[in-house]
Amino acid sequence: MSIVEHAVVAAAGLGSRLGHGKPKCLVDFGGVSVLAHIMSLLKDVPDVRVVVGFMETAVIAELQRVRPDAIVVRNPSFRTTTTLHSYALGAQHLAGDCLFMDADLLIVPETFQAFLDGCRPGEARLALTASKTKDAVYAEMAGQAVTGFRREDPTAFEWSNISWLPVRYFEDIGMTAVYEHLRRYLPMASGEVVSFEIDTAEDLAQAKDNARLFGLTAT
Amino acid sequence: MAGTCFCFDLDGTVTRAELLPMIASEINLEQEMSLLTRLTMDGLIPFEDSFRLRFAILRSAGLERIRSVVAEVEIDPDIAAFIAANRERCFIVTGNLDVWVEPLMQRLGCRFYTSVSQIGANGEVELKHIMRKNVPGLELKERFDRVVVVGDGYNDLPLFDVADVGVAYNGVHASPDALISVADYVTMNGKGLCRLLSTL
Repeated sequence: MSIVEHAVVAAAGLGSRLGHGKPKCLVDFGGVSVLAHIMSLLKDVPDVRVVVGFMETAVIAELQRVRPDAIVVRNPSFRTTTTLHSYALGAQHLAGDCLFMDADLLIVPETFQAFLDGCRPGEARLALTASKTKDAVYAEMAGQAVTGFRREDPTAFEWSNISWLPVRYFEDIGMTAVYEHLRRYLPMASGEVVSFEIDTAEDLAQAKDNARLFGLTAT
Repeated sequence: MAGTCFCFDLDGTVTRAELLPMIASEINLEQEMSLLTRLTMDGLIPFEDSFRLRFAILRSAGLERIRSVVAEVEIDPDIAAFIAANRERCFIVTGNLDVWVEPLMQRLGCRFYTSVSQIGANGEVELKHIMRKNVPGLELKERFDRVVVVGDGYNDLPLFDVADVGVAYNGVHASPDALISVADYVTMNGKGLCRLLSTL
């Protein structure tokens, strides 16, 4: 049983590297949007907050269909800010710990649930996945702990853009990428998930090859 | 008084249906009312002019009939429970008319800011003053540290303009893009809305 009460999902970005002309969370997998997939993974989390920006009306409409009790948090400056800013906006007014994740992920549900089940109060934890994406943030490890991040020289695992963190980690942020901001809190515990990010056309093709793993059911 | 207060629009936010079309259907003027509502929603008629016209159309229903329709409207149970638990710092800010929405004042039990009526020389209800929502917004800002507002339509824009936190509500119908563009949050049902409000 998971203790996760709050989840902030960043869905504000342009998705320009994928180049589909729509938010990545609205990419369709056999009749199921990536957003619907993420919401099915979060079905037992009581408080879900989705940060929107690019094409917000379309994202809100899909969210209303699949998770009407979610809270939409607007990030009007999505063009000039990073995901870090979306996380900070999403977690505003919350206290304690929160699950943070991006909305452009396809995840094997059992592995995601195992990560949620392993979350403990006050114990920051990163979800890692076997390295596979084009622009990965690789994890440097000492045992199960993540001790550093790097963009070159691949390691076995990359950060999946899923994490369980105290909300206060986002009180004081700069204009950096999320992993750069999190460096100051390392080392951090980790857990493994099987996930695919869809940042680029190559990533998307890889995720589509594995679509049977994600438990996708049209709603 | 310090702390946070919460201002709610009435029609289509606290109530699960728009009151004026409900009254119109009672007197078979539903089509006329829906045309007027659409023109107002599309921004072709200012809210004040539109309300004058709607008042002119609906007053023929008679006060008692209007009140009996209003008394039966469904109220969102989560929002009603939130208001009941926070009565001293919850306010209804509605363009609707005081004498028409009186039955809801009793049901919700919090203070209402409304358009104001008067009784004319012939004993009929007349429109005295139409609500501009920034006025109660500014008044509440004097009394509270922070004003959180919840609404779903164009006439909520002046309220959002003076608020500290704006929540567009899509629970009954989608809020216009103009309102969403000045909101901090969007919620899609009463449960999500009240979960948000309880953390603010």
